[in-house]
Amino acid sequence: MPAREVLRYPHPTLKSPAAALEPGPAAIALAADLVDTMRSSPACVGIAAPQIGISARAFSLDVSGHRRAKSHHGLVVVINPIVVEREGREILREGCMSLPDFTANVARAATIVVEGTTPEGEPLRVETDGFEARAFQHEIDHLEGLLFLDRVSSLRTDVFPRKRYD
Amino acid sequence: MHVAVTAVGADRPGIAAAVAKVLFEYGGNLEDSRMAILGGHFAMMLIVSLPAGTDAKALEAALGEPAKKLDLIATVRPVAESPPEHADGTQYVVTVYGADKPGIVYRVCGALASHGVNVIDLATRVVPGGQPVYVMIMEATVPAGADAAEIEADLKTLAAELSVDVSFHPLEAETF
Repeated sequence: MPAREVLRYPHPTLKSPAAALEPGPAAIALAADLVDTMRSSPACVGIAAPQIGISARAFSLDVSGHRRAKSHHGLVVVINPIVVEREGREILREGCMSLPDFTANVARAATIVVEGTTPEGEPLRVETDGFEARAFQHEIDHLEGLLFLDRVSSLRTDVFPRKRYD
Repeated sequence: MHVAVTAVGADRPGIAAAVAKVLFEYGGNLEDSRMAILGGHFAMMLIVSLPAGTDAKALEAALGEPAKKLDLIATVRPVAESPPEHADGTQYVVTVYGADKPGIVYRVCGALASHGVNVIDLATRVVPGGQPVYVMIMEATVPAGADAAEIEADLKTLAAELSVDVSFHPLEAETF
């Protein structure tokens, strides 16, 4: 499957809650597209289906090899994820491929437990923290139609313009 | 055409609305802007695009009415639509804090300029208290080829001389 184009705000799909996804062949094909798109985007650690124009609750993520990742689960593709536990709070400056002109300080849970299934329908439960937990929360936000700018609490201290990275 | 608009006045409700109304009536579009309270004054800095041929002086005169009512100092000056691009580099965050004294901004920015570092965002604030603390936070672009370790060493030397603390580190933002 080819890498897809990564949509940018203000594409409406990025701001719409995504639909639940049935495990099966379509979900497996979508997972392949997500992984291919993620792998072909420089420094990309995760991508959610709405970012490639598919309003479905799925994302791929792989923070292994990222300097900030202390613990990780390698390549993960989750469909219909929900955060069932969250604890702690950490702030980190985030950017997003779909909103390339800004970065912002975003507070997120330090430790989370996510449940969902694989594209094949196998139950999945991931307990993670730190950078990987942040990546999960960022991708799950995409499934709700939320961008990191929706998580900013103060323009004065939290939002920074930046040069485009492309 | 683009103009730079500034307006400063003792803070009160309605300043932003009054200035923006005049700009709107002239067909202006507020592009990049910053408005903040600085020392109790509401300060506005705006880059505004206007229909070609707009008379900047007439716009400034039109701002005179709300300016008079709200006791503002307002200026309008034409600016280039495509300012010069700066060379690429790495973005750094520089934080300087300590007991307030004259010359902190001058000395620190001077040291950075001597290395070709370009300041792209800078804010200072005096945090009141028994002993007021002066805080300056800036983002700056260190040009390719400049020696970041050398810049940091120079800043540390300067900080010791000024009896302030300084930190200098790359701006780290993670893209998801």
